[in-house]
Amino acid sequence: MKFFRFFGTAAAVLLACGCASEAPVSRTFFAMDTVMTVTAYGSEKLLTQCGERIAELDSLLSAQKPDSDTSRLNASEGKETELSSDTAALLCKALDFCRETNGIYDPTVYPLVKEWGFIGGDYKIPDSSRISKLLVNTGFEKITLNGNTASIPAGFELDFGACAKGYAADELKKILTENGVKSALLDLGGNIQTIGCKSDGSPWIIGVADPFSPSESAGTLLLSDCAVITSGGYERYFIGDDGKRYCHIIDPRTGCPADSGIASVTVVGQNAARCDMLSTALFIMGTDEAIDFWRSSDDFEMLIITEERKMLITEGLSEKYTQSENYSGAEVIRK
Amino acid sequence: MKLNKKVVILAAVCAAIFVSAAAVCFFLFSRPCGRLVRITSAGETVAVIDLASAENYTFEVTCAEGVNKIKIEDGTICVSEADCPDKTCVKMGRLGGGMPIVCLPHRLVIEFISSDTDAVAG
Repeated sequence: MKFFRFFGTAAAVLLACGCASEAPVSRTFFAMDTVMTVTAYGSEKLLTQCGERIAELDSLLSAQKPDSDTSRLNASEGKETELSSDTAALLCKALDFCRETNGIYDPTVYPLVKEWGFIGGDYKIPDSSRISKLLVNTGFEKITLNGNTASIPAGFELDFGACAKGYAADELKKILTENGVKSALLDLGGNIQTIGCKSDGSPWIIGVADPFSPSESAGTLLLSDCAVITSGGYERYFIGDDGKRYCHIIDPRTGCPADSGIASVTVVGQNAARCDMLSTALFIMGTDEAIDFWRSSDDFEMLIITEERKMLITEGLSEKYTQSENYSGAEVIRK
Repeated sequence: MKLNKKVVILAAVCAAIFVSAAAVCFFLFSRPCGRLVRITSAGETVAVIDLASAENYTFEVTCAEGVNKIKIEDGTICVSEADCPDKTCVKMGRLGGGMPIVCLPHRLVIEFISSDTDAVAG
């Protein structure tokens, strides 16, 4: 009888293991100029809702879609423009962040992003007089926003490239959690949003792309319930006729691609839109200023990899991080 | 102790289920991790390749927007050539434990099906 009980119990346990956890559902979308994958322990219907929401935000926020709010504002020639509540909410967040960083993050550098060729792929190094001329038509201070009505001076253009994906992650998180999803992983073109833990209760294992070999991982972070967003100069860049490498992140102070000595900065926090903007601003700031900014804040952690392959990690992340063999010890930054 | 025929049959059935389930578990968990690669074009899977056993070869994935030439060499995979404007997929080099290889203009993604990470920030 013991023989029977043993096999009976073992077979039941094995069958139960196969049925106990609900299978995750996953879907890939191409939107916001990137590829996005949403994986959730929930229904297929929710993924459809997520896809529709991404498409809606893309159509409102993209500066490259002629009928978007952003394009209408950019073509408004200084006139007041009525925005959707999404665009107005994101513009409000962006302006707050511009003020917080004294314009190191500034969505009005879009004409310079285009001039350097990062939109059409026609890369070139503009001459300094052209850069100076374009810089005249930048500056977040000139944007006004009252409720859902915004205006920018004629000749100004803005884009939400450094925060739209983060905002989308926040919105998708809202849809999923309000519908009872306790465990999900959103990968919006390398902008990661985790909801809860994995189905087995363990934290998500999030790799950080190696800026010197992006198809490899520089290390991994064990995280749950947070956004993880990296900015780096390794994905969209070109090598100029002068042999120098130019990345797509424009420093609003110079009108030129940022050259701060940071190869990549990864930000971990609760609000994805804020983490998205933070990663861009910290990348432009450079290591010292980024550390000062982190010390004066209390809502994010960061991992910096410098052009000299030095790794710096803030104390809140250091215990959750395992680095790859390609890097030697990370310096822990403390408050 | 004498077992009657019904109990013996039941035990045999349970044993068979146990052995089959154990075999399935062994098969699933003993496969080399992080070597199975999926190639998708516009969200549709066009190939799943086990790099651990794949021979060296080059093939093309064609879509309405253009062509990506995919090269498998010594257990690695990369996009060797593409007629997309930015060539980001070619610049990505070999697929590793980091970000997937993506060609946005052609909506092509090459990624490990199983890897050491759940996602990669980058």
